[in-house]
Amino acid sequence: MKTILAAVALTLAAAPVLAQDAPEGAPDELGMGIFTFTSGPAAAYGMPGRNAAELIIDQINEDGGIGGAKIVPTYVDEGQGGEGVVSEFRRLAGDGSVDVMVAALSSGNCMALAPIADQLEMPMVTWNCDTHQLFLNAEHPYVFRPNSSTVPEFVAYAAYVAQNNPDAKRIAIINPDYAFGHDAAQIFTAAMKAFNPDVEVVAELFPRMGTPSFNTEISRIAAARPDIIFSNLWGGDLENFVRQASARGLFRSSQVVLALGESALQRVDLPEGVIVGVLGDGFWNSPDAQDNEAAQAFAEAYHGKFGEWPVFPGMKMANTILVVKQAYEEAIAEAGKWPTKDELLAALSDIEAETLTGTVTVREDHDGLVDQIVGVTTGGGDKPALAKMARYPGSDITPPVGADPIEWVSTLTPEFAAGLPAPGSYE
Amino acid sequence: MLQLLIIGLLVAAFATIPVAFPWLAFVFTLVLAKGFAALGVAILLRAGLISIGHALFYAIGAYTVGFLSQGAGVDLLIPQLLAAAAISGVAGLLVGLFMVRYRGIFFAMLNLAVSMVGYTLLSKLYNVTGGTDGLAIATPSVLGMTLSREAFEHLLLYGGLGLAVVVCIVAHRYLKSPMGEALSAVETNEIRLEYLGIAVPRVLLFAYVGSAILAGIGGAIHALAVGHITPDLAYWTTSGQLVLVAVLGGIGGVVGPFIGATFMESVRSFAAIYAPDVWNIIIGAGLLIVIFFLPRGLYGLIERIGGRRDGQ
Repeated sequence: MKTILAAVALTLAAAPVLAQDAPEGAPDELGMGIFTFTSGPAAAYGMPGRNAAELIIDQINEDGGIGGAKIVPTYVDEGQGGEGVVSEFRRLAGDGSVDVMVAALSSGNCMALAPIADQLEMPMVTWNCDTHQLFLNAEHPYVFRPNSSTVPEFVAYAAYVAQNNPDAKRIAIINPDYAFGHDAAQIFTAAMKAFNPDVEVVAELFPRMGTPSFNTEISRIAAARPDIIFSNLWGGDLENFVRQASARGLFRSSQVVLALGESALQRVDLPEGVIVGVLGDGFWNSPDAQDNEAAQAFAEAYHGKFGEWPVFPGMKMANTILVVKQAYEEAIAEAGKWPTKDELLAALSDIEAETLTGTVTVREDHDGLVDQIVGVTTGGGDKPALAKMARYPGSDITPPVGADPIEWVSTLTPEFAAGLPAPGSYE
Repeated sequence: MLQLLIIGLLVAAFATIPVAFPWLAFVFTLVLAKGFAALGVAILLRAGLISIGHALFYAIGAYTVGFLSQGAGVDLLIPQLLAAAAISGVAGLLVGLFMVRYRGIFFAMLNLAVSMVGYTLLSKLYNVTGGTDGLAIATPSVLGMTLSREAFEHLLLYGGLGLAVVVCIVAHRYLKSPMGEALSAVETNEIRLEYLGIAVPRVLLFAYVGSAILAGIGGAIHALAVGHITPDLAYWTTSGQLVLVAVLGGIGGVVGPFIGATFMESVRSFAAIYAPDVWNIIIGAGLLIVIFFLPRGLYGLIERIGGRRDGQ
């Protein structure tokens, strides 16, 4: 029913737009393949992405589309598994119905799709996959990531902790048991040790994804008496962990850092002072986003349509689609007509795009520079909000082009952390 | 005779459909990969042994290609395939040595357990296997020629189809040989077989190694077609899918698993296209229909048209 309504709204909205000036050779429709999880446990992040994509595409189409061309999305469920995702990507790229891909949520799927995008010469803009391995030792001429990777994301948390809790020495880590969790543990530990050589890891736990009970893990963490508990659990796991850990008093005895905590603010009661963030700058209620009318309108519309405020995976998706839109517009301006594929690639390869929540720059290795927002919970309120925020410039905390990301982390110094924006500096 | 004709027509259709719908070429290559593995499962099913762990050998085949391609720098197609078959065969021998002592639910569960150990190792040995992010596989060269990706994909599809025909003939001969016929005897009355002087463990071990090799070849084709492999290949859902494909296609004949794989992958592709929100319900419904109305699997249809083979 919702889709029918949306389709009707879309047709009605698109009708008056046709009169607008379109560049020469502009098609009526621009096919966009959008890959996200709409089934399985990862849908906890995939569905906000899908919802945000529907909403932002409706908004863009109401405003006349991209250069007069209406975006026609085709959604592909990553929940069908790796080979199904690859198969759908090939089909959509092959039958000519799609001009650009926005893919994917899972890092494994991104890495599987990247070589295929190159092979099929299909522009692919990634919206979430944050593995630092995507462009490591591999050039992908057709793949762009206008988002951050695990290294700046978790270095930002270490920098925040180094300034916010300078005396913290004992850290405990509880992350999901797959590449994302292990990468985050390695990067956070390396950065913490670089910022303070006295830091020691007193517990490192990787519970299986979908674990209903974290009781053993919580006991082990409590027994290790850590100063800092770091976690990049997400989705249902994060909610379960928060409920069980707060009942056992972990939030009172240690400073907890929940890297993906913003996405749980509306679902569980987090006490005041928990360090949380958004893996990037995609927080719709940040000072920059509050000054941005489009961001506020988007958040209100999202709240109206889906009954909750957008979480950061949704903002990432909306921002990524806006990057694609701007790339097309720059390419149209450059070419004076509807751009060829090469002209679109050229526009994407050095784009500096305004998103709803900030600015993103794509550098020569096609990786993105995005700011990182970290803050602490306020302990309530009717809208998700953060206090004591810091906004770390993407260019400062992203490894330089060509550097081995993990080695780069170990070259950081305490002075580096001290030179970064302080907690509370972003108001 | 009529049966052979039908099978010939099916092979011809399989070869020509991707010409008309180029995107199906990839799906059909996966069909072959799954078909090989499901044939392995089907051979064991003849002895009444359900393996919910053959994804392990599928993954071993795939990761053999992955390690050769990324770690050892061997980017030659034929050595990669041979190595995948050999290593999954050796793994099948090692695992099979104690598996053949078990029957029924114990056999099923032990296979499941061993494959889940394999899955966990593939996910945990991050520095060797790339963890859940997986390994990328470069396009290999063939007989000294460097092919474009497109040409390689055609080769994989039609070469794979040729291989499938050869393997089917060999498997058919095997199933008609005393060693193969002994498999169904294991299911009906194992003790009688022992009295006839046939060593049941040897019969089963031979079948187990053969089925592991088939799964390994399937995994290698999967890896080469997709170009990226993850530990999910060894997960129990992949094993379950292989059993389903085998049962769906029917274990009455060696082409059954390939027919089952074609059905499964086609339904999955079309469900993903035309009903992206409910694709999993459609697959489930499709399976139920086949299981309810075609107890001998899709191959049972061919048997019915071609006349029952009871007399042979």
